[in-house]
Amino acid sequence: MSSLDMELTVNGRAVKRPAKARMRLLDFLRDELNLTGTKEGCGAGECGTCSVFVDGKLVKSCLMPAAKANGATIETVEGLAKRGGLTYLQQAFHKTGASQCGYCIPGMVMAATGALRENPHAGLDEIKERLGGNICRCTGYSKIFEAVELARDVMNGALPVTALDGPGAGASYIGNNVRRLDAPSKVTGALKYAGDMVMPGMLHMQVLRSPVAHALIKSIDISEAEAMPGVECVITADDVPGEDGFGVFVHDQPIMARGRVRYVGEAIAAVAAVDVETAMAALGKIKVEYENLPAVFDAEAAMASGAPVLHDYAPDNIVKHIPIRKGDVEAGFADAELVVEQSYETQPVEHAYLEPEAGLAYVDHDGVVTVISPSQNITHHRHMLAKIIDRPINKVRFIMSPVGGGFGGKEDMIYQGMLALAAMKSGLPVRLVFTREESIISTAKRHPARITYKMGLKNDGRITAVEFRMISDGGAYGLSTEGVMRKAAILSCGPYDIANVKIDTHGVYTNNTPSGAFRTFGAMQAQFATESHLDICAGKLGLDPFEIRRVNMMRSGASTHTKQKLGSVSLGLALEAAEKASGWESGPSVARGGVRGDLGRAGNREPCTLGARIRTSHDVDTKEDIA
Amino acid sequence: MLNCDQYLMPETLEEALAQWVGAPEGSRLLAGGTDILPWAREGRAGHMHLPAIIDISRVKELHGYDVVDGRVRLGANLVFQRFLTSESLRHHLPCMPHCAVWFADDQIREQATLVGNIVNASPAADGTPAIFAMNGTVEIARLDGGSVARRSVAIGDFITGPGGTTLEAGEILTAVACDSMAGYGGAFEKVGQRRSLVISVVCAVGLVKLSPDKKTFADVRLAMGGIGPVPIRLDAVEAFLKGQPVSRKSILAAVKTAGDLVRSRTRREYRSEVIRGFIERAVEDALADCGVALLPPEMKEAVHVVT
Repeated sequence: MSSLDMELTVNGRAVKRPAKARMRLLDFLRDELNLTGTKEGCGAGECGTCSVFVDGKLVKSCLMPAAKANGATIETVEGLAKRGGLTYLQQAFHKTGASQCGYCIPGMVMAATGALRENPHAGLDEIKERLGGNICRCTGYSKIFEAVELARDVMNGALPVTALDGPGAGASYIGNNVRRLDAPSKVTGALKYAGDMVMPGMLHMQVLRSPVAHALIKSIDISEAEAMPGVECVITADDVPGEDGFGVFVHDQPIMARGRVRYVGEAIAAVAAVDVETAMAALGKIKVEYENLPAVFDAEAAMASGAPVLHDYAPDNIVKHIPIRKGDVEAGFADAELVVEQSYETQPVEHAYLEPEAGLAYVDHDGVVTVISPSQNITHHRHMLAKIIDRPINKVRFIMSPVGGGFGGKEDMIYQGMLALAAMKSGLPVRLVFTREESIISTAKRHPARITYKMGLKNDGRITAVEFRMISDGGAYGLSTEGVMRKAAILSCGPYDIANVKIDTHGVYTNNTPSGAFRTFGAMQAQFATESHLDICAGKLGLDPFEIRRVNMMRSGASTHTKQKLGSVSLGLALEAAEKASGWESGPSVARGGVRGDLGRAGNREPCTLGARIRTSHDVDTKEDIA
Repeated sequence: MLNCDQYLMPETLEEALAQWVGAPEGSRLLAGGTDILPWAREGRAGHMHLPAIIDISRVKELHGYDVVDGRVRLGANLVFQRFLTSESLRHHLPCMPHCAVWFADDQIREQATLVGNIVNASPAADGTPAIFAMNGTVEIARLDGGSVARRSVAIGDFITGPGGTTLEAGEILTAVACDSMAGYGGAFEKVGQRRSLVISVVCAVGLVKLSPDKKTFADVRLAMGGIGPVPIRLDAVEAFLKGQPVSRKSILAAVKTAGDLVRSRTRREYRSEVIRGFIERAVEDALADCGVALLPPEMKEAVHVVT
């Protein structure tokens, strides 16, 4: 393996040291110079967490071989402000609350800095365009754009510097904007996420994942991988000393596949080695013999008799069935003047937090097995791990590192167990950082759902009965499926007061990627069906969509179909506010189509169009490079 | 992960050609590198360990551009961002700022080269249809007994299919030359899943020159990508429009002469619907770039939906 002698300037300091040929500028900055403010979110140029200036040009350092930066002048997020200080832009990000999880923020600050360097008077359209290469999953971008505009105005003297100050200390936190305490560490790149952390003697883990969806594992031969120089240990399910199994509700998932693999991407074995390349090479030496089993990829097919069974404890493949009955549904339909039946489908969705899963584990001087990771559920993880590794609870410690976006996707203990086992086996600290591809293939998704809705209504829009059946693909393991099915059933009919309901939600095992927690936790799928269905029914009855909701909405004092008494209900106020803010033109929405009068109003969000800088023709060249 | 035994950065074309012709089997040549790094990942090519990478980005002879006798010559190291930032290139290649702004993002455009986009010969390449519309040729160099031998090939003959070109072993694509389109209005249309950082499902480029009284089409250039294995030039539509009065009617009639253009294996129906709207839009946006707006901007989305 060749190395390159690098000589360059980084944040004003001369740097001279070798780089490995495989290194991208990103790796050189992070691994050689420990400048971890520059993040890796995707490694493919899509997300912008790795943006840096190279000779004054903003580039994505994951797309630049380190050699290209030889002799160059590099500026990273750590070098923007004087140590201990914040640039106007960083202060503006702090002021507007533009940083949430913070993982995209160093890249965003770099892109925003670049945008205002290129055009100090950039308008909102141009700012959006110039930040187009940077993705954020928390903010919805509004606060970020607000920050860039604020900084621009301060830098141009249109606003005083005091505009960047925080709000005065109010008498109450409630109703006042409060600046985030952790923002300065995020806008400067100082905050260390798990993948940024290093320890002396730290090993690097790589995971062998299943290429097949459903198979028996006949054998795993790790001898060749274990014998490789630089490999400290190889672990499989055989290394689990205690009672294997984790999950949020049912503990049906082993730390690594145990005799049987149930989805593509499931962990089979893991290697801890002196560096990532060695660990990766060792994966190639592990020999696994599979005996394929029939697999099932559709939830309804998995419910049919004769379908392949995934878990012995659930011969019907049902993770959880939640039935709710209220009133007399048949009588309600008989009383209806219109019955509408329709089915709805939602797809699996990846959380795509900008920070891929990462963790660092070690066994401390007192023999405490310690795992640092952005876990959203450390106490539960600690209890589960203690059982799995057969240690008393006081010998297991979880430290929650900053979560670079979770959205429910980091509730599952899918890799922390492997890290703990490898640290115990090797006696050394071990770190695992997922690639984006690994994060997508192996971690939970939002439950895809198929919902059949039958609703009976009177001509005035009053709902007389609802029959709601939801079949959700839970994938290969239970994770949060049970809770998601409960929540979906509780919220299935929306905030509407309905006398007669019959609800069934089913979470089903299949050989797909497991489904788990994701923002709304089952409510989104149900609401999509409910609200779509109400719109369809309003159309059929010639009613205004707001009207049909007002007729049926719960009011203060109502009871839900799970018998929860609601003290105060603000739905009426919310509907009123939405109607007013949108300038809604009353009447059934199906009647007007494209000639509505309430489109294109001031305050409506415009579609994004590129080319603001071409239209304003600001981008004048000062640096012609004619051959 | 992209690894290699040797990472070479030649500084002259001769050096680059010598290294390239002598490189072990499986070596790769790159300029910006923005395509190969994502390619060397799981799910695509996977981990790659190459004998040598020859990085031509420091070969000065391949930098920049020049304009001679109505032809614009763009060096292999010219990055996409220059089509937005260079006043001279904007003047001579009026479709390219529009093409560039839809290509990746500002940061990738600072590294990604037009020539790299062309030589990779992806059916979805954004740069190739534009060069095709401007009667582009590629310039190719190789070593012949110690000196540099050169040849030129029309772009339509150079690209043979997805990933396929007539480039031979030891050859390097050094530049692209095309007509100066000064005085034309330019346009670029693209449909993908997001507005930054997406690969085109369909893309179209339009260039329009008006008669002095701005009443008739003096010249029209149209090309499309993403609808078959290679980009296509819309000769029939171009020929029909030449000499026609500038009107929506002419454009709608011209669209009908396009025929069935889709040769892609997937999403054929969708693509053929997009094409018709895109031809209209490419011509109208190019007209708008000449200062003739047939439609107010807010009407465009509505009108170009195929009914």
